[in-house]
Amino acid sequence: MEQAAPALERLLQPAPLEPLGHPDAGLEAAVGEEAEGAQDEEGPGDRTMTENNFWLKKIEISVSEAEKRTGRNAMNMQETYTAYLVETRSVEHNDGPSVLTDSLWRRYSEFELLRNYLLVYYPHIVVPPLPEKRAEFIWHKLSADNMDPDFVERRRIGLENFLLRVASHPILCRDRIFYLFLTQEGNWKEIVNETGFQLKRVADRLYGVYKVHGNYGRVFSEWSAIEKEMGDGLQSAGHHMDVYASSIDDILEDEEHYADQLKEYLFYAEALRAVCRKHELMQYDLEMAAQDLASKKQQCEELSTGTVRTFSLKGMTTKLFGQETPEQREARIKVLEEQISEGEQQLKSKNLEGREFVKNAWADIERFKEQKNRDLKEALISYAVMQISMCKKGIQVWTNAKECFSKM
Amino acid sequence: MSGGLPKALPSTGPHSLRDMPHPLAGSSSEEAVGGDSTPSPDLLMARSFGDKDLILPNGGTPAGTSSPASSSSLLNRLQLDDDIDGETRDLFVTVDDPKKHVCTMETYITYRITTKSTRVEFDLPEYSVRRRYQDFDWLRNKLEESQPTHLIPPLPEKFVVKGVVDRFSEEFVETRRKALDKFLKRITDHPVLSFNEHFNVFLTAKDLNAYKKQGMALLTRVGESVKHVAGGYKLRSRPLEFAAIGEYLDTFALKLGTIDRIAQRIIKEEIEYLVELREYGPVYSTWSALEGELAEPLEGVSACIGNCSTALEELTDDMTEDFLPVLREYILYSDSMKSVLKKRDQVQAEYEAKLEAVALRKEDRPKVPADVEKCQDRMECFNADLKADMERWQNNKRQDFRQLLMGMADKNIQYYEKCLMAWESIIPLLQEKQEAK
Repeated sequence: MEQAAPALERLLQPAPLEPLGHPDAGLEAAVGEEAEGAQDEEGPGDRTMTENNFWLKKIEISVSEAEKRTGRNAMNMQETYTAYLVETRSVEHNDGPSVLTDSLWRRYSEFELLRNYLLVYYPHIVVPPLPEKRAEFIWHKLSADNMDPDFVERRRIGLENFLLRVASHPILCRDRIFYLFLTQEGNWKEIVNETGFQLKRVADRLYGVYKVHGNYGRVFSEWSAIEKEMGDGLQSAGHHMDVYASSIDDILEDEEHYADQLKEYLFYAEALRAVCRKHELMQYDLEMAAQDLASKKQQCEELSTGTVRTFSLKGMTTKLFGQETPEQREARIKVLEEQISEGEQQLKSKNLEGREFVKNAWADIERFKEQKNRDLKEALISYAVMQISMCKKGIQVWTNAKECFSKM
Repeated sequence: MSGGLPKALPSTGPHSLRDMPHPLAGSSSEEAVGGDSTPSPDLLMARSFGDKDLILPNGGTPAGTSSPASSSSLLNRLQLDDDIDGETRDLFVTVDDPKKHVCTMETYITYRITTKSTRVEFDLPEYSVRRRYQDFDWLRNKLEESQPTHLIPPLPEKFVVKGVVDRFSEEFVETRRKALDKFLKRITDHPVLSFNEHFNVFLTAKDLNAYKKQGMALLTRVGESVKHVAGGYKLRSRPLEFAAIGEYLDTFALKLGTIDRIAQRIIKEEIEYLVELREYGPVYSTWSALEGELAEPLEGVSACIGNCSTALEELTDDMTEDFLPVLREYILYSDSMKSVLKKRDQVQAEYEAKLEAVALRKEDRPKVPADVEKCQDRMECFNADLKADMERWQNNKRQDFRQLLMGMADKNIQYYEKCLMAWESIIPLLQEKQEAK
């Protein structure tokens, strides 16, 4: 796992992913296209999913609520975020009552994680898009606010659409991780973490069990002092109880080693997250570039045709302070045209780098996966071996003690 | 064993007693032997004789010693007589078959008592009666009354206050049944107590309540006379041997109390460990659901931990049901023995007081007055009975604790063996895919 991390570092250069549609179209249109496409499959207004590998009945998915939450992030800093309630219902038959089968809370980053996972594992499939990560420039506000209720509402709908589209895709709907996204609150990083915590609790308890046995040693010794025939047997058995009690220290050392190996496995999860974050940054970069290009083209068009379609500060000042001269306009158009051609170049190269990134990232993730599976299996085997050794030691000690007791 | 007269004291040489079969023999020793993996002949020899220089009064070697390794010959040996005359054991008592009775006023459990005997004191060769705990309690009180110079075995506790223990749960009833069985067997093995009238009635009477109401008590001379000891005499000093017994019992009870506390603590810790284990196993299951290639191995680990949890639960149940009650019984035993010691002190004190009074009277009677002689008699009887019982008790205690502690070791061994099997069985599961790659 350690050798894979530097490979990621190599890829950490700004480069976008493939654009979501025509650079001209802008995001809304792209979403619209896909929406139309999806609707052709499902039928208008039909939000149910037919045939699915995991469910034999129809299911309904909805993102029904949004809630503000505070928590600690990976840097252990306080953060506020919005959580969305994902509910899954199964429908017995058409127009029959629906039964709530699963409901859990997810935040945007988890949707992203799911989408990035799907992107990586199904590179040839067009994975449905997610709603915007950050609130775009809202005309009546001067800054993006992710907590803005309108934004949150639009996002909720967008997330629901995303899930429905994945569920209605013949291949994506079969994906196990997608199924778990809908049904299981924790993801494997958390599960592994939890395993580590449980292990610590188990180890602490086991320590207690062994150590108390040490008391037998002392009391057997004291008791043997008042016994005639029983004395020797008791005394020697007591010694074995002492041995038993002290054997836990070595055992726990081994368990700690195993816990460390589990923690290393978490690096894999972290690495995956880093890849996804990188992917997200690239995507954002690309969106910005595409938007920027689109707006420049529009401006250019307006200037050349003289129509004003969008609000612009420049336009406003022109109105206030007087029209500009044709020469000035020409100059501006020229600048814009240069910028546009530059922008188109950039977009092309960002596109390319994005594709490269996905290819390499995917290969790395595959490598990670294999390495992780190997490492984890090794860890599990040595854990089992350790347990076996502990059992054998236990049998040994108690057999010795039994021998002593038999001589009482 | 002849007659029931208290004066016919059994010869109590230490060697013949050690030769005595384990009073709790019957099935339990058999189990202990069968469960082991062929104990070495030396081990078995040591168990039965306990001492290399075993000398028997009749000079021979006990029968049935030829093949110690086989359990049937062990059984033969266990059926050997417990006294020097060579008579075979002639009284067998078992407690089993608990049944719940629901009446308007109360609900209670009765146990079946089966008696088989060739003794003349029994009209029939076999009896089967049902008794409840009250009846056992009655019996014990009667025995204490009528045989005050002897050590009467303890009964399991009357009330169980700890936690919310269900008096009618299978475990509780079974634990009690075992204790009542042991109680009767100890009496059965006692050369004097087993001939007690009340014991006989307890084993044979169809209607025990009628007998109880009669209030008939065939008190022995000693019993009666001891009952009338007013007490209040101050003992100058306990003879060395009884002082030693007293001190021994004090320390013994203390150590047992400590062991009881340790055992309880261990069980508590084991239960808390069990709780964590039961949470730990399923985490691997959940994890396995998120994995592809690793799903089977992780699921295997989860199942393995589940098996270990079950094994641990069995261990804690066994310790609670089998180990702790026996410890508590022995603590009760030593308590009742200390009160018998005190009674003995009283008898001695009375004798000494009377003797002193005679001496002070300075009458020049050559003979000691009859009542002082009676006192001396009483005292010497008491001392002899007590000494004999103490030796018997010591021997039985040794057997009991040997069995108890070996049982404890055994249960722990079994626990580890179960866990070992579980973990060994998943190693191939963890390894196989690797090779397949």
